[in-house]
Amino acid sequence: MKKPIQITLFLIPAILLVLIFIYSFAGWSGWASTMSWEGLGGFGHFTGLKNYIELFTQDSVFRKGLLNTLLLSVAFIGITIPLGLINAILLDMGIKGKKLFRLIFLIPLSFSFVVSAAMWAWMFAPKTGTINSLLRVLNLGFFTQPWLTSSSQSMLGLIIIYVWQFSGFATLVYFAGISGVKQEIIEAAKVDGASQFQKYLRIIIPLQKIPTFTILFLLLMYSLRVFDLVWLTTGGGPGYSSEILATYMWRITFNRNLFADGASIGFVMFIMSALIAVPFVVKMRGK
Amino acid sequence: MTNSKTLIISLTILLALTPLISSATANAKANDKLELYHWWTAGGEKEAIDALFDLYNTVYPDIEIVENPVSGGGGGIMRSKIKTMIMAGNAPDTFQITYGSGMLGSWVEVLQPIDELWENFPVPEKVKEMGTIDGHQYGIPINIMRNNCLWYNKKLVDELNIDMPIKSQEDLFQAMEKAKEAGYIPYAIGAGSGQEFWIASQVFQSFLLAAPHGGPEYLEKLYSGKANPGEDEAIKEALTSIKKIIDSGYINSDYASLTWDQAADLLVEDKAVFYQMGDWVKGHFNAVGWESMEDFNYQATPGTQGMFSLHFDCFVLPQGAPNPKAAKKWLQMLKTVEAETVFNPIKGATPPRTDAFTDMYDEISQDILIDFRDPETVIVESAFAGPPSAWLDVFGRMFSNYFENPNVERGIKNFARAYNGINW
Repeated sequence: MKKPIQITLFLIPAILLVLIFIYSFAGWSGWASTMSWEGLGGFGHFTGLKNYIELFTQDSVFRKGLLNTLLLSVAFIGITIPLGLINAILLDMGIKGKKLFRLIFLIPLSFSFVVSAAMWAWMFAPKTGTINSLLRVLNLGFFTQPWLTSSSQSMLGLIIIYVWQFSGFATLVYFAGISGVKQEIIEAAKVDGASQFQKYLRIIIPLQKIPTFTILFLLLMYSLRVFDLVWLTTGGGPGYSSEILATYMWRITFNRNLFADGASIGFVMFIMSALIAVPFVVKMRGK
Repeated sequence: MTNSKTLIISLTILLALTPLISSATANAKANDKLELYHWWTAGGEKEAIDALFDLYNTVYPDIEIVENPVSGGGGGIMRSKIKTMIMAGNAPDTFQITYGSGMLGSWVEVLQPIDELWENFPVPEKVKEMGTIDGHQYGIPINIMRNNCLWYNKKLVDELNIDMPIKSQEDLFQAMEKAKEAGYIPYAIGAGSGQEFWIASQVFQSFLLAAPHGGPEYLEKLYSGKANPGEDEAIKEALTSIKKIIDSGYINSDYASLTWDQAADLLVEDKAVFYQMGDWVKGHFNAVGWESMEDFNYQATPGTQGMFSLHFDCFVLPQGAPNPKAAKKWLQMLKTVEAETVFNPIKGATPPRTDAFTDMYDEISQDILIDFRDPETVIVESAFAGPPSAWLDVFGRMFSNYFENPNVERGIKNFARAYNGINW
């Protein structure tokens, strides 16, 4: 039996918190982004879309940050999803050392980004880092790289770290998706003479649309607003080579006191996330 | 059912009233508190600020100090926190920032002038001038920091027969060549983990001060937005010197992955010979067991003798400070000989007052104090103090690119573009 008053009362605190701390602050940022707000003194005057126009037309670092954010999203998700699927299939097939395999891929998921950042910064260190040291021990010194300290490789390094951190998550979701495929369908395929390969290619993988959609949505949402790992490993550098929108927003707001520009970047990130979230929510409601 | 409804409604009302209740409680206690923010959390620093708290509580036992240490980013994390607090109308009573015209200028809109506290505060005239914004004083400096210091590993310098002190930049390059031939890292740099600003604040600044067309006057012009770096010879000379140390292989190849203290450790480990860094590195050397004058020593950076590239840590009084009386008492105390004497020896720093005691400092600190108090010394604001706060961020990035691709012509263009992008 529905109890509308109680339900409403219990929902009020949550709704209030979301309205105040998410939507009103986002709205406030949107408003601040239309002001000429420089320095700690105050808002200045209304400038309309001037800050946005300047960001997109005159600020090469913003454009670099936007491109890097998109590159990170595409590359990291583009690798994580197939890797997660392959891992889940291997787990489903019952490979030898299944427990160890699962542990190796799931452990990174439990690490905080601060721990991951410290660990990878240490592993990628050009002279004393584990990766280059190992290569030298194996007489493969010619393969050693500057990794995060080179402007041509810093983004690659970040992509590797993010794939490592999130492939376990993708594996977990796909494994749940594969386990959820009805046994009758698989049995029917077997009766029809489908090979192991055909079973996965023609039946199980096509049934993974919802897990794929979920992983894609969550990773996209995350990758558009990454900050911590990038900040703690490269700080957006060397130069501006690994600058992403969130690090540039922090830098321009707090190091340079350009608060309206910082708010504009934040609002661009909000719009980008909304462009992904709204269709997803609409589609899920439809289903 | 009625009871549960009543409970829910009561809880909702209580939730709504919580901010009012806590605000009232806070106001009741407001008069005997000093809410203070600082970034001194490392070994030595923490003990030094604790000594100041003890002194304050001895004089004012009724005022409770609410300390908020915020570590990270050389104070950057704390400064961003303070900015958000002030903009939200929740200013603390006092907080630490770097003392100097550019840095104070970036904050002046939200600070209160404290001119009356500057009476009877014997410091060199230039120090007063560094903190004067539109005719007013805003901060009380507590410790001197000298930037133009070249530190060296005594054992390696003796082994290489390098005559110290080195007199000119040319002699420094020759000494570096000797070190390189012997298989040592001649010039250690640490600019990793987002610490690219050391290149701008130490390496570039020291080469600019020593450049034939550089020096204190040019540096002042540059840091106040009045230079024309696209055309100025001094910029070209400094960039050419930096190119030389990169192309000649004088710097450690992993400079972009080391922090400043890790770069200092290259000297401690007998791997590197020289290190350009402010005098705070002495505290680090001592902390890892290296003895001043025995294991390491310093000299004014070659070509900058007679100059003193300076900044301080200071405390300020923000507008809207809830306990301004307690804050003024704190600032009044900081300027005393007693406060400088309990703080600086522990911190490994030196006092700004010209009448502060000097006996308790080691030989290196005493030497720094002699230069600081010498009326002939030309004091010039460092990159932490003189330019606007955006400087280190913008030029850290610019030099990080330059180190990867040291093309002087392109470097000048990038420098000029970055310079013109700063809001002067």
